[in-house]
Amino acid sequence: MTSQTTIQKRQATTTRWLLLPGIIWMSLFLVVPILMIVYVSFWTQTTFNISPDPTLASWKQFFSSDTYTGSLWTTIRIWLIVLACTFIVGYPTALFVGLFVKSQTLSTVLLVICVIPFWTSFLIRVLAWRPMLGKEGAINIVLMKLGIIQQPIEVLLFTELSVIIGMTQIYCVFMVGPIAFMLSRIDRNIIEAARDLGAGFGRIFWKIIFPLSLPGVVVGAIFVSVMVLGEFATSGALSGRKVNLLGNIIVTQVGSLKWAMASVVGVILTVVMGIVIAGFLRIVDLKREL
Amino acid sequence: MDTSVFRLDGVTKRYGDLVALDNATLEAGANEYISFLGPSGSGKTTLLRVIAGFEAPESGRVYFNGKDITNLPAHERGIGFVFQNFALFPHLTVIQNVGFGLTHGKSGLSAAEIERRSLEMIELVGLSGMEGRGVDQISGGQRQRVALARTLTMHPKVVLLDEPLGALDANLRSRMRNELRAIRERLGVTFVHVTGSETEALAMGDRIVVLDRGRIIQVGTPDEVYGAPASPEVAHFLNRFNLFDGTLSGGTFNGVFGAVPSPQAIPSDRSVYAVRYDRMQVLPVSAKVSGPSFRARFVASEYLGSSMMNFFEAEDGHVIEMEHHLSLGAAQEFEPRQDYLLTWNPDQAIVFGREASR
Repeated sequence: MTSQTTIQKRQATTTRWLLLPGIIWMSLFLVVPILMIVYVSFWTQTTFNISPDPTLASWKQFFSSDTYTGSLWTTIRIWLIVLACTFIVGYPTALFVGLFVKSQTLSTVLLVICVIPFWTSFLIRVLAWRPMLGKEGAINIVLMKLGIIQQPIEVLLFTELSVIIGMTQIYCVFMVGPIAFMLSRIDRNIIEAARDLGAGFGRIFWKIIFPLSLPGVVVGAIFVSVMVLGEFATSGALSGRKVNLLGNIIVTQVGSLKWAMASVVGVILTVVMGIVIAGFLRIVDLKREL
Repeated sequence: MDTSVFRLDGVTKRYGDLVALDNATLEAGANEYISFLGPSGSGKTTLLRVIAGFEAPESGRVYFNGKDITNLPAHERGIGFVFQNFALFPHLTVIQNVGFGLTHGKSGLSAAEIERRSLEMIELVGLSGMEGRGVDQISGGQRQRVALARTLTMHPKVVLLDEPLGALDANLRSRMRNELRAIRERLGVTFVHVTGSETEALAMGDRIVVLDRGRIIQVGTPDEVYGAPASPEVAHFLNRFNLFDGTLSGGTFNGVFGAVPSPQAIPSDRSVYAVRYDRMQVLPVSAKVSGPSFRARFVASEYLGSSMMNFFEAEDGHVIEMEHHLSLGAAQEFEPRQDYLLTWNPDQAIVFGREASR
């Protein structure tokens, strides 16, 4: 009895020591900065100065300006479109890599191929789309040479479309990875059993394969969502400043030293992300699945 | 056979250079429990998968109810398959698993009818009250029953079971043996059971099919196979015989134990002399014996509850096993590392040899 309590006490002490570095790290670099941002968002901003007198001015300004609320809706719209595109492109890819490819080696090779673009820097990946999509870019040249179009398609670059194309390409692999992982864990005997019981491919996919890959879809969607919602570089480089996401607003506000406004947008962005992640986590119990 | 359910005719299957099945021919009757016995790599699982339709044979035909089904896909064969690891749908409940084939196949039944049939089958395998549970919330033995019920709801004429008891612990295994037999008898369908365990094959099969390196080497009732193994390989798999190499000529077998008259021999490429573990007798070295005998050193013994296994080492390093049934009296005490004389009644031995005089 007494020896058991000492062991428990000792374990509790060890646990506390193991937790300490994480707690310190997370407090210094996550909790304190977030509290700071919330605090600063209520500061008083004048043109060249900022003072900690509490005010709702920046919050009122955000919600009364069409530019700001508009960028909130643009962010949400682009996020939803990119999420859908990465899923539509990513799921079949993952299905092929994770389930249809029987050889473990080949499926690893294919996954590595998906990751190859990440060997260059983020900005290069984004900027590489310009010579592809431009008025005199690769796609237009090829289409014109083939005689499919007479005039170059101008909506390809510096529009919302180019931002969506760029983001889908960059973030697709974050959707493919988790889904392919979940699919590769499905016991092949289960699929064989379902077929033996007379289910066709469609039924097997919707009733067995898709539900079992759902945790991967959720993890992939969380990855993509977090990154797309916080995006500013792709929209900056590929939209010609026509698409302003919340991330772009933060960058410009910080650039002109409008810390209070930047903080307001930061808080709103964080809240949106929190809601999105919480929503996704309601779909599956990840703790049970992983 | 009039009541034949399925028939294999010269089925051959290769994986590259490896011959998994070599000209397998077999007939299975209706309402029969058949065990496929063989070591791993003997082709027993491949044979099962060929019957199920998961693998296509290179040559030979598979007939089911008199129809050639060699090229028919698995789900159109009316043959059920129970996987070794059960292969239950992990995200579905017990009743959803059991009803899967009826719900998602071509049964065309109403939801109410599917539920009624599923519940009936759940009751049959003894899982009433568990239909709403997730399959990860039930025990191994219960999962086994769900897998069986899932197959049985499709009313197959034949159920193939791939090492169905392999994933269960020893206690549960012997209980499920009886259960499987009882369920089969109630439904009157043919079960084909693949196993690597000779006790399981003997206990469960109405007939045993012994496989070795892709070939069917004996088919018979447990009694026939146990009492008269058709070859030294069968005797070896049964794990109940001491096997001695030697030569057979002129009705005499020459082995480490000397020359023994063996007027009757089972035809075989190898000359092997087989004595069942429980037919061995142990005597002091000084004892006089008339029959075959040889010296061996006592190594160890193993208490098995109802019997005692004694292990001896012959001069050539060969391990000889001797089983003593404790119901026949207390076990003899042996001194470790001491030599003893092993003997047996030659009438009870089984002799294999090229020279078949039967």
